[in-house]
Amino acid sequence: MKMVIRPARRLATPVVFVFLIVALLVTMLVAISFGSVSIPFLTIIQIVLNNTGIFHFFAYWDPVLAIILLQVRLPVVLGAALVGAALAVAGALFQGMLRNPLADPYLIGTSSGAALGATIAFVLPFDTVYGTFFSLTPVLAFIGALLTVLLVYALARSNQQTPVVMLLLAGVVVNALLTACQTLILNLWPSDNFGRILGLFNWLSGGIALVGWGPLGLVAVIVLLSLCGAMALGRVLDVFALGEEAAAHLGLPVELSKFLIVIVASLLTAAAVSISGLIGFVGLVTPHLMRLLLGPRHRILIPASALAGAIFMILADLLARSVLAPTVLPVGIFTALVGGPFFLFLLRNNKREYKW
Amino acid sequence: MVEKLIATWGQSPLLQVQHVTFGYTQQQVLLYDVSMQVLAGEFIGLLGPNGSGKTTLLRLLSGVLTPQQGQVLLEGRALSQWKQRQVARRVAVVPQELHMPFDFTVEHMVSLGRTPFISSFWGSRQSQDQAIIQDAMQVTGVSSLAGRVFNELSGGERQRVTIAMALAQQPLALLLDEPTSHLDIKYQIETLELVQRLNRERGVTVLAAMHDLNLAARYFPRLLLFQRGVVADASPAEVLEPDLLSRVYGIQVRVGILRGSEHLSVLPPTLVDVPVTLEHEPFPMVHVIAGGGSGALMMRALADAQIPFSAGALHIGDSDHALALRLAREVLTEQPYAPISPEILQQVHDRLQQVSLLIVCPTAIGPGNLGLLQEAVQAARRGLAVILVTEPSQTDCVSDISTLPSLSVGELAAFKARDYTGGLGFQCIEALLQAGAIVTTSVASSLNEVKKHVVVSH
Repeated sequence: MKMVIRPARRLATPVVFVFLIVALLVTMLVAISFGSVSIPFLTIIQIVLNNTGIFHFFAYWDPVLAIILLQVRLPVVLGAALVGAALAVAGALFQGMLRNPLADPYLIGTSSGAALGATIAFVLPFDTVYGTFFSLTPVLAFIGALLTVLLVYALARSNQQTPVVMLLLAGVVVNALLTACQTLILNLWPSDNFGRILGLFNWLSGGIALVGWGPLGLVAVIVLLSLCGAMALGRVLDVFALGEEAAAHLGLPVELSKFLIVIVASLLTAAAVSISGLIGFVGLVTPHLMRLLLGPRHRILIPASALAGAIFMILADLLARSVLAPTVLPVGIFTALVGGPFFLFLLRNNKREYKW
Repeated sequence: MVEKLIATWGQSPLLQVQHVTFGYTQQQVLLYDVSMQVLAGEFIGLLGPNGSGKTTLLRLLSGVLTPQQGQVLLEGRALSQWKQRQVARRVAVVPQELHMPFDFTVEHMVSLGRTPFISSFWGSRQSQDQAIIQDAMQVTGVSSLAGRVFNELSGGERQRVTIAMALAQQPLALLLDEPTSHLDIKYQIETLELVQRLNRERGVTVLAAMHDLNLAARYFPRLLLFQRGVVADASPAEVLEPDLLSRVYGIQVRVGILRGSEHLSVLPPTLVDVPVTLEHEPFPMVHVIAGGGSGALMMRALADAQIPFSAGALHIGDSDHALALRLAREVLTEQPYAPISPEILQQVHDRLQQVSLLIVCPTAIGPGNLGLLQEAVQAARRGLAVILVTEPSQTDCVSDISTLPSLSVGELAAFKARDYTGGLGFQCIEALLQAGAIVTTSVASSLNEVKKHVVVSH
């Protein structure tokens, strides 16, 4: 690999990765520090390190700070990082597999499935029974998203093959169908309880929900395992770029690979959606951004997208919480408001024509 | 080179197609009962008009498609028993054009050719892989392009990168699908010379689908002329025969050696003189109506006896059609799966007025070809001699030549069994018999009858 003459216009890969990792850490610190009560960076580091059980710094700070940090800020920031990484990688996987620059994580039904699941959770009075143990919304959203993807995949499959066009069309149709079901439920249900509907609206427009360490840990396990899976699929995605027939000529089990990619991407999306609601744009734009900087090779693109997605989402969440504090705005607004212009700037300043 | 190949592979074919029938849907059969084989080290050009099934044959050979009947063998073992990865280590495919959505570099593209050698997901490239990649780029002359973006190269450079990628698979056989179809003449020559060099120096077996007959004549020692089946399989001198080409491609061409050239050239008809049917040839006096393989024996017998004949109307894709293209002087051709159209029927009508003998082979009669039989009846009533060939029946009939009065019940039943038109077809047969048609049950006796007529007519 030393022999490779990279196009000079692209940044060296290690530099970008070091930059991304440092940026992620700094962003996390800033996001944790910022809020109704600001916490100094040093204190944050000391509190976190104390909790690893290895370090024992003298606790000179107000104990309330530790509680705010551990129970509120840290879970939210970590949640945002997980959601961003998951959505960005899912987007990269779908774009690579479908060979379509417009693909995003919600393309084949995840969003409408999750929304329908969440609607059912909001509308049905189950929460009163189970709410004391865990919140039903993320669980139903997760299940709804996964079931929908499996349904779409089953619909698109014929003759032991799953053509990409069929997958896209089945996704669009099922999306429309489930959205209609969701609207129907909302219309038919007695809407005397306005608070519930508002809660649902907020969920649909996306925001990092404050969840306990337990559910967060579960989501983290799902996301991290799926990220490993996605990295392992990097080579496969490179071969997929040649087209399915050429991939088959290279000995790749095309249908199996396609199924694995869809499953990994859907697990990532479903896990993200379950704690964040529907946040758009991250999954679409982050992979493009990284392709601009690093080139299209998936082995590099996927980890880079994960890091960049996490940074992006933490920043968007920080803005959503702080711009009109104490009012919390939907995160989706900021992913588009900040990310869009930045992406366009990079796109237009790129010397070479971006063939994505 | 030849010694090396014989030492390695003996004479067993590298790739073998055995009685393969294939269609993209169950109803529409594209290839019917195709057989061919490729020996290790061969350099074969696959010719045929658009839609003749060349690409489909290549896809069957690479294992992307599975035949509905019959089998494709790689090194003597059915493709279905090979693991996909193992096939990819032996057979590489160079597509007509590769559409790459991403800006992959040339080196990365070529490295993808190592995919079948890298353990599934986590595996990475070894230094040995790297050496093979460099070698593949060197041989194809793309080393200097290693860092360039594939999409920004010219068509000819791209084609060489694609071949380098295939070479990185270290294949025994290289299947190329019209490798020169959108290259300018310089790159066409360069590409084919590269492939030829790979064949000569590295012993890579090559099967290339080609559109350009002149390039095919120049480079390939063995040519396969394909039209839903193998029509001809021989050296360029035998395959690039004007009559054969005009029957298969449906256009009059001239074949010759241009002054100063070593190879055959195929020229399209000149614009000035309208193509005329060749006058010096004896005009066929025998016409054959067949279909579904029923005419195979009869047509071969006629060809062996050097009796010129015409055949039709036959559908493209019918095995009788592929055979007739090779053996008959003239073939009336109908599009696949269509009932025989009025224009073609008119051609059959005209033909039957010119010949002195009509042979009706035991084809199944359906709504599609009923019109042919009706034309035959009309011709017979006008006084044309007709031979009705039947399948050799189990009934113990005394003579194998008979006319209506002496026809056995079993033979009549055999005619009825092939009628899928609810009686209309059988009525035609009866009408033919009443008009004096002769029924023969063996090829030999048919041929005797034919000889009588052809001699009489001269």
